[in-house]
Amino acid sequence: MNLKNLTNGLFKENPIFVQLLGMCPTLAVTTSAENGIGMGLATTAVLVSSNLVISLLRKLIPAKVRIPAYIVIIASFVTIVGMVMEAFLPALYGALGLFIPLIVVNCIILARAESFASKNNIADSVLDGVGMGLGFTLALTVLGAVRELFGNGTIFNLSIFGAGYKPALIMILPPGAFLALGILLALYNVYQIKSAK
Amino acid sequence: MESRLIVSSSPHIRSSETTQNIMRDVTIALLPAAAFGVYNFGINAFIILAVSVLTAIIAEAISQKIRKVPITINDFSAVVTGLLLGMNLPSSVPIWIPIIGSAFAIIIVKQAFGGLGHNFMNPALAARALLVASWPVEMTTWPTAGVDTTTSATILGIMKEGQVTELPSIMDALIGTVGGSIGETSALLLIIGGLYLIFRGVISYRIPVFYLGTFATLTLVITGFNVQETLLHVLAGGLMLGAFFMATDYASSPITARGQIIYAVGIGVITVVIRFYGGYPEGVSYSILLMNVVAPIIDKYTKPRVFGGAK
Amino acid sequence: MKEIFKTGVVLLIICFVAALSLAFTNEITKDKIAEQRMMANELAKKEVLPAAATFQDVDEDLLLELIESYSPIIEAYIGYNDSNEVVGIVFKSTPTAFGGAIEVVTGIELSGEVTGLRIGSHQETPGLGAKAADADFYAQYAGKSTESYIGVSKTAASGNDIQAITGATITSDAVTVGANASIDAFKMIMETGGVGN
Repeated sequence: MNLKNLTNGLFKENPIFVQLLGMCPTLAVTTSAENGIGMGLATTAVLVSSNLVISLLRKLIPAKVRIPAYIVIIASFVTIVGMVMEAFLPALYGALGLFIPLIVVNCIILARAESFASKNNIADSVLDGVGMGLGFTLALTVLGAVRELFGNGTIFNLSIFGAGYKPALIMILPPGAFLALGILLALYNVYQIKSAK
Repeated sequence: MESRLIVSSSPHIRSSETTQNIMRDVTIALLPAAAFGVYNFGINAFIILAVSVLTAIIAEAISQKIRKVPITINDFSAVVTGLLLGMNLPSSVPIWIPIIGSAFAIIIVKQAFGGLGHNFMNPALAARALLVASWPVEMTTWPTAGVDTTTSATILGIMKEGQVTELPSIMDALIGTVGGSIGETSALLLIIGGLYLIFRGVISYRIPVFYLGTFATLTLVITGFNVQETLLHVLAGGLMLGAFFMATDYASSPITARGQIIYAVGIGVITVVIRFYGGYPEGVSYSILLMNVVAPIIDKYTKPRVFGGAK
Repeated sequence: MKEIFKTGVVLLIICFVAALSLAFTNEITKDKIAEQRMMANELAKKEVLPAAATFQDVDEDLLLELIESYSPIIEAYIGYNDSNEVVGIVFKSTPTAFGGAIEVVTGIELSGEVTGLRIGSHQETPGLGAKAADADFYAQYAGKSTESYIGVSKTAASGNDIQAITGATITSDAVTVGANASIDAFKMIMETGGVGN
């Protein structure tokens, strides 16, 4: 068990800002901080569960059919998360419902299954899942907060700029996702370069 | 790059053209139409234009300082971007609109991609697209020419809604005493400015001629050879401003002659599609932006064969 | 041969377990989900026809006639109060607005008054057409009479006219088309003897 596996995903190998994985949900759902955190946590739940099960079964799954096996496991967890969310968190499901099935094809999950969980023990795999999931959640929440702030004048539905603010609607439209992600990536790189010196 | 405009690698013939000369010519060519906009829409229009130009210059200086490259605000290229953006705005927009627009055009679209000559799309148009998407109400409310307060529909807006009886005459549209963005209404002065640029060798005739030609031909066919409606379509909106001053941007249009023709025809087709079949009444800016993005591919496939080289 | 067999069996077991856990989750959540969906539906109808307590579909022949001759109406429900008397009719229509079909739910009381209108799913532009889903806009329809059609004014609401959303005339018109189709259908139903109690 190595705690580094937990922190790796948060910053050093952040799935969004460093690995640029899972761009589809990243760009599509981050119209508000709430959506970002919801999507992030749903993905984390799937990621931790699938890492756990795949690590558990890593010696049993034949190498030839490992990808179909991973997909079945991931898809089952996604469907379960979707059903549980619709039953118990209908408001969040209303906002994210369309994107929940997309978690299946979120490459972060398959990437972690293939490159980490299938080679490491259960404890490390769970830690990796938690770390990567929270890193993903963090990135999505920051992106969602930035877009919500400029596109709607609020963060988590709390008014920041007051009623007189004319929101820049583009930020909550699809182009705003690319603009915000691009600028955040640039700032992240500036920070990385500066701190490396 | 220094301030020399290097067009091709060899044979290294130096011309007296400099970025500064070219951009100064573009500014001169734009001024009549801009001045007419001020006459048409009043002091507000002047303030918007001035703020837009000033912000562009300041943004250029600041971002070049941050990038630690020589500051080149006296080469007029920031002035042209600011002026073009200002001319694309309604005179009634709040003062922060040109500030945000100009800053975005220079900092994000131009400097973040490497500065003059490296922007992959026209900075002024990209900024306009950002502003329209962000503040659609402010950006599509046009004051009536000569009056400060009332709002009026543009020619294209009227045509889109099919209220043909309210249309202004072709003469008004040519001279420019109609509703619209500050610098786009006077087709006549824009044509004169464009001809000046062609005459001075700053732009080639190809892009404006093939753009306008494609547009007019298709419009004529679609309107069932209604000459009056076609003329209004050609004179209205940002078509002239776009054809002469924005589609011809060096950095974001193809280099080869064949490429420029393909590019111009493409813009013409997309403009027609947006105006007649799209949701927006005007399509000039989006069509130029779309073809800007395609320009490198066009260049790739129209590159002349190396002399003597194998096919 | 043996290897293929083994691979197949492992994959089969994984799929079997996945299916089992999905069935289990479904068993737990399905009632809750059905309840959520029904509540959301009932709530929308109640909002536009507050006097009604329960709703019932109109009979099939009438619905077919409505769909055929009163486009864009797609659904209609009769509202009953607590003592089981008919109080009004709720119509759902899908007129075409700027971004495609837009769901308009209109409630009309027997007295001939529009009691409410709501916008369901839509793809209008945020900040422009999407404002149709704001109370500021749709509340204008409540209290309008079915004596004449509802009109759209660009400047100010007056009489049976509502004020269009600034910069989104097409959306405002579309919503009104839905409302007016509902008025037409309502009148037809009343003239042909109303709906049986």
